[in-house]
Amino acid sequence: MTALRSRWLELLAIVALAASLVRSFTVQADVTQGDVQRLMYVHVPSAWLAFLAFGVTVFASAAWLRTKQDRWDRLAAASAEVGVVFTALAIAAGMIWARPVWGQFWTWEPRLVTTALLFFIYLGYLSLRKAVLDPAVRARRAAIMGIIAFIQVPIVYQSVNWWRSLHQTSSRNSIDTPLRLTLWLAVLAFTFVYLALMRRRLELARLEDQLEARHADSASELAGDGVTIPTLDRVGQNV
Amino acid sequence: MTFWRQAKEIARKDLVVEARTSEVVLMTAPFGAAALILIPLAIGTDAPLLSRLGAGMYWIVVLLFGVLVILRKSAVDGPAQTDVIRLLGVDPAARFAGATATTAFLLLLFEIILAPVVIALYNPDLRGWPWLLLILPLTAAGLALLGTIAAGVTTGLGTRISLTPLLIIPLSLPLLLGATQALEGLRLGRGILPWLVLLAAVDLALAVAGVLAARPIEEATA
Repeated sequence: MTALRSRWLELLAIVALAASLVRSFTVQADVTQGDVQRLMYVHVPSAWLAFLAFGVTVFASAAWLRTKQDRWDRLAAASAEVGVVFTALAIAAGMIWARPVWGQFWTWEPRLVTTALLFFIYLGYLSLRKAVLDPAVRARRAAIMGIIAFIQVPIVYQSVNWWRSLHQTSSRNSIDTPLRLTLWLAVLAFTFVYLALMRRRLELARLEDQLEARHADSASELAGDGVTIPTLDRVGQNV
Repeated sequence: MTFWRQAKEIARKDLVVEARTSEVVLMTAPFGAAALILIPLAIGTDAPLLSRLGAGMYWIVVLLFGVLVILRKSAVDGPAQTDVIRLLGVDPAARFAGATATTAFLLLLFEIILAPVVIALYNPDLRGWPWLLLILPLTAAGLALLGTIAAGVTTGLGTRISLTPLLIIPLSLPLLLGATQALEGLRLGRGILPWLVLLAAVDLALAVAGVLAARPIEEATA
């Protein structure tokens, strides 16, 4: 029962996702595109959640620079990781949809290109985190990059308006009500998935930090008090 | 010493180091020119096709090889030099401005060296070429600003050479778009003002971000 209580968010995500899937497959198909349109219920929520995830990263990065509290750094990293997963899912679903509708998986279309670049920008952000071993230095550098990387998000969002091309502009108000409700249900389900993944990733990050601290303690015992690793709570005192 | 005097001194120091090695003029620019020679061998030596692709190829080479200008050895201060600059009390924002000014100047030089090469090899349409006097510096400044920030957050990392281009290239999309679309606009006789505004806006945003991030970057690399 305790395990069930601690996993209520995951359970909620699974139930919502199952409901969304059932609804996605049972709602009427689009008259023009047919069944392939059902991919919209994966593609659109993935893209929106990716934007949300990167928004959380930029907010948490700014909060870290202001407060130097390591929980903000963990939040920024976790959200960027989940955002990259959602971006990849949005690209994959879009490519599968494009094959029957546009005749090819990939076309040199502004929304596609800018989204692919968004994916690589945040891969770069995660690579930067991986490259820096010192947690204090990693948090500071990642916070700077986490803010600058967000420049790409409005470019992706506006690309369909700035360069009118194959990709349709926002159509959430022009589609039929049953389809729109299904889309909103999918967005809700994906939001729960995002929250569940974030919760697990943050727990994992906390455990990683504890492990790192334990290793540092054992290193001190072996090499003496002169050997310690920097911790985030000391950063504010050093500057 | 005022902010601008500090920035000027930093830029002067970087330029003196670059002048001693001539890394951009003697190494990176010939490397870029060699790439411009090789590209037609890979995509075909059809003259009308090359004429149409020339401007785009030029900007791709400027962007990719420009990363080498940003990562040049002479741009890297060793721990001793960095410590001296810190002890002298140089404002991190002035250091950022000085380093960016040097890189922008060298990128502009790189663009100017490659321009006659692409004209000779690809015979691109040169309608409205005086606008290049504005497009080249704006692009060089944007790439330099982005590069200086990215190089700042990767300072001292073992993976700096691989990681910095990964941070720069995807984020340089607005610069590449602005530069290529402005030239395309000139070729087609359309207005290029929106693209110039895009370049200037990106430069301004990066300058503000760079100045604000200068101190945190300095602290992260201390």
